Amino acid sequence: MISVYYFGAIALILIGLYAVLVKKNVLKMLIGLSIMETGVNLLLVSVGYISGRSAPILSEGIGPNGAVDPIPQALVLTAIVIGVATTAMALSVAILIHEKYGTLNVEEIRRLRG
Amino acid sequence: MNGQYASLLIALPLISAFFVPLIKGFGKKAIKYYLVLITAIQTGIAGWVFSEVYSTGKPIIVIAGGWRPPVGINLYLGHFAALFVFIVALVSFFMAVFSVKAIDVEPIDKYAMLFLLLMLGATGMIATGDLFNLFVFMEITAISAYALTAYNKTGEAAEASLKYIVLGGIGSSFFLVGVALLYGSLGTLNLAHIAQLAGGVNATVAQVSLALIIFGLAVEAELFPLNAWAPDAYQAAPHPITAMFSAFVVKAGLYAMARILYVLSAASGWANIARLLVIMGTLTVIVGELSALRQRDVKRMIAYSSIAQVGLIAVALALGTADGVSAGVFHMVNHAIVKALLFLAVGYVGITLGGTAVENFEGLGKRMPLTAFSITVGAVAVMGIPLFNVFWSKMRIILAAMGAGYAWVVALVLAASVVEAVYYIRLIHTMWFTGEGEKLNENLVFGVIMLLLVVAIIVIGIYPEPLWDIVQKAGNDIVNVAGYIKNVPLMGVGA
Repeated sequence: MISVYYFGAIALILIGLYAVLVKKNVLKMLIGLSIMETGVNLLLVSVGYISGRSAPILSEGIGPNGAVDPIPQALVLTAIVIGVATTAMALSVAILIHEKYGTLNVEEIRRLRG
Repeated sequence: MNGQYASLLIALPLISAFFVPLIKGFGKKAIKYYLVLITAIQTGIAGWVFSEVYSTGKPIIVIAGGWRPPVGINLYLGHFAALFVFIVALVSFFMAVFSVKAIDVEPIDKYAMLFLLLMLGATGMIATGDLFNLFVFMEITAISAYALTAYNKTGEAAEASLKYIVLGGIGSSFFLVGVALLYGSLGTLNLAHIAQLAGGVNATVAQVSLALIIFGLAVEAELFPLNAWAPDAYQAAPHPITAMFSAFVVKAGLYAMARILYVLSAASGWANIARLLVIMGTLTVIVGELSALRQRDVKRMIAYSSIAQVGLIAVALALGTADGVSAGVFHMVNHAIVKALLFLAVGYVGITLGGTAVENFEGLGKRMPLTAFSITVGAVAVMGIPLFNVFWSKMRIILAAMGAGYAWVVALVLAASVVEAVYYIRLIHTMWFTGEGEKLNENLVFGVIMLLLVVAIIVIGIYPEPLWDIVQKAGNDIVNVAGYIKNVPLMGVGA
């Protein structure tokens, strides 16, 4: 039985991939990219989950054996920031494309040929 | 001197990038010369690291924050990393000098910051010893590369950048899934520790995660199905940035690919992935060369040629033998020199005559003899004519591929080399034997840089042995995984 977390995360990645590959509008492609990144982050967090344990903050009543794996959380924190930076970069390029081409349809954005 | 100072290779570009807005107060020129100064210092540090590693024969291990790996992050500056960090810094220095003339349109302060971050990312990718840290440096490189591709703010530049962002985004997501799978099964992110545990990893997990990681890195490294962004980005990006992409951003991706591939070489099912990479590399060579044949824009043509050479390097690195990897590293060094020269010269023609369409190259031999001479030497070298450097590395790759039993790869690669000769000879013919024109004044500084690179090509072509000794050590650094594990002072945790 596959854990519902893994299933959901992989499903999100595939939905995002589908949107990037199939959609014609640049903004929808970028939404797909964001969904994909979310799925990857969920997958990373669920890799570190240990059933029945709490957040890895050592405080009263929670010892080292009562916490989930803290490393994936550090990784996800980094990956989220990187994802946001990529999205911001992509959106500014999308604005530039709309200025120069007057369209966001990928089939009409074809000046570079060969 | 203490080896920990090698961390300045990462720290210097980062700190200098933060100081750019302050320098901006002194004017546009100041930023350009600041860039030249910082890259010169970086070259000095990298040169010190290089001589240190090659004179002692021991790698420099930088341990971040005093936490021994695998708990902390370490930088591993072995023979390979020392060599390539030096090349990255040197090419960046040349391109910073080139930028003084070539970049005069847009916000120069942002350009300088992104330039430094691109250099930082490539250096970090080559130096790091940690899988997730590799991802972070890869993203630093990628995001600065996206921004620099769109730097000219034309429609074409935005289009090229968008393609790169979408492909790069998919690639980095896949890479991260691969990292998650490896971490989930091994519980470590340190490359040396992964190598230690690789023998026991589940065959399916090893194959899937390795395939995903290679898929992710192949976007940066321009291998066949994922390289559609590359020619567009090369054509639309500012000229110095194009040279940097070709000379080291791609190499950083290839190196990371080779490193991860060999780190997991003990895993079962490994040979399938290596064979897949050989096939992808061969297809890259063929598709790259055939696409270059029908280009009307010289910069785009050289971009396709660059992709084809990268395919050749990928083939060599995936052969799985020490000979193959050394030959691949040899070709990486030679290709970095030759393509830096070609993109520098073509970019110089582009800024002087306004554009890199093939019409501008007619009569270049009469108008800009020195530049035309440099392009000619570069073109002849890429074709692999004896007495030039690329001949030796191509020869080594072909011998290594024969040795590993890949005769069909050799046949296809050699056929592609014939195609390569056709379009380069056509370019040389256009430059020297067609068109009329008056002699233009050529910039002395660029002339000196181009001649330096030309001399490097010819000297390596006549005396390949010293460099071959160096790259054999560098190649051994990748193949000899047991030595790699032994060099990293792993703390005994978990296991």
